[in-house]
Amino acid sequence: MLVANHITKSFGDQQILRGVDLSIERGKICALIGPSGSGKTTLLKILAFLEQPDSGNVSLDSMNYQFPLPNGQKIQEPWPKVTVVFQQLFLWPHLTLLQNITLPLSARDKDDNPPRLQELLKIFDMNHFVHRYPNEASLGQRQRAALVRALLLEPEYLLLDEITSSLDIEQTAIILSQLKKLGSQGIGILIITHLLQFAQDAADKVTFMADGQIIEEGGAELLAQPKSERLSQFLSVVKAVS
Amino acid sequence: MNVFDILVKYHQAFASGLLVTCQMCLIIWSAGLILGSLLGVLSAKWRLLIGIPSRLIAFILSGMPMLVFLFWLHYPLQSLLGIVVDPFVTAVVTITIINIFSVSEVVRNALRDFPNQYIVAAKVCGLSAFHTVTYIQLPIIFRQTLPGLLTIQVAMLHATLFASLISVNEIFRVAQQINSIVYKPVEIYTALGLLFLAVCLPMNGVALWLRKRYTRDYSEK
Repeated sequence: MLVANHITKSFGDQQILRGVDLSIERGKICALIGPSGSGKTTLLKILAFLEQPDSGNVSLDSMNYQFPLPNGQKIQEPWPKVTVVFQQLFLWPHLTLLQNITLPLSARDKDDNPPRLQELLKIFDMNHFVHRYPNEASLGQRQRAALVRALLLEPEYLLLDEITSSLDIEQTAIILSQLKKLGSQGIGILIITHLLQFAQDAADKVTFMADGQIIEEGGAELLAQPKSERLSQFLSVVKAVS
Repeated sequence: MNVFDILVKYHQAFASGLLVTCQMCLIIWSAGLILGSLLGVLSAKWRLLIGIPSRLIAFILSGMPMLVFLFWLHYPLQSLLGIVVDPFVTAVVTITIINIFSVSEVVRNALRDFPNQYIVAAKVCGLSAFHTVTYIQLPIIFRQTLPGLLTIQVAMLHATLFASLISVNEIFRVAQQINSIVYKPVEIYTALGLLFLAVCLPMNGVALWLRKRYTRDYSEK
């Protein structure tokens, strides 16, 4: 289980997270929704051990870290057991999409052409553009490449930040089914998304965040029956826009 | 006596001058690229201790004409220290110092501006620090710095002509000496130009090929 407790984080004078609690269970999909600037990506980075909180506790299975870390204590690198697909994707520009996908495997002396690679390339319909460089591919194609790169790492926890923002309905549906499959294989998944329908269809748990706090948490039905006024307000704005 | 007559008649003198120029270039290029890259890396890593002094020296050198620096090292400094150094060594040291600091600035800037997100992506993909450097950082930085480094090296080749002014028998001085014998400035300096073209054009061709082979336009298509 990947758990964050009482997390606070500030950048300069601005407090981004104010005592946030969030847990990701193995085999479950958690959707994190909320307005821009509510601290979702900062929380994701803290859960991925890429950012250290000012205070609070983060634990990954048997590893437990109390922040601020005592002098001398270092974080045991949890990657790629925990891995992330970022909103900006961060594909390496000097490598083709295929090389981006296979480099983490070959660098770790693993088979860089496993059957799973061919399977994923086929599922995501990537064979016709996988030899392009990132700047020659569309955003949707890059999103698929970044996702496949993460999936091939066989993580135990997968953190996804707005990965469907540039995908069409068909590709979003494919990702949805893949995520559900991964969930059933025991992988814990956190998805940050603005697509409420996607969150509703994919998630076992929905968490709504605003102003650096968790406002409401519950099952997927939360999106149909919000309890807090802030979530109702958010949902009505999103529905009106979409 | 036309250009080719001069080239044929004085081919040995031209060859010996060209050899000296090539020797100078080899030392200047190799020392400049190796030590400059090292200094660039150290400057990026220890900004206060090495980075700031190195930038300060690079800044001063960039504001000083190379000829003044060369003459200063050749006459006043040696006179102050009471030593006499072979002009070849003085010229090589002078141009190498400038090359080192020019290269280090290019490398330091490339390291400073290296997008951190590529390292973060490598981290979350489970790449070790060694693999991140060898597969991600070095190739990107190499591609990024290559055009600038090649331009500097061509400029250093041109700068070797200054060595003639402190009596190094490189190719320009040889041409001057031949001119003092036959007084055919048009033919002799045309011959010199042709020789320089013969050296520089293949080098520029290699630079162009390297650029084409290893640098890519990363902007979105």
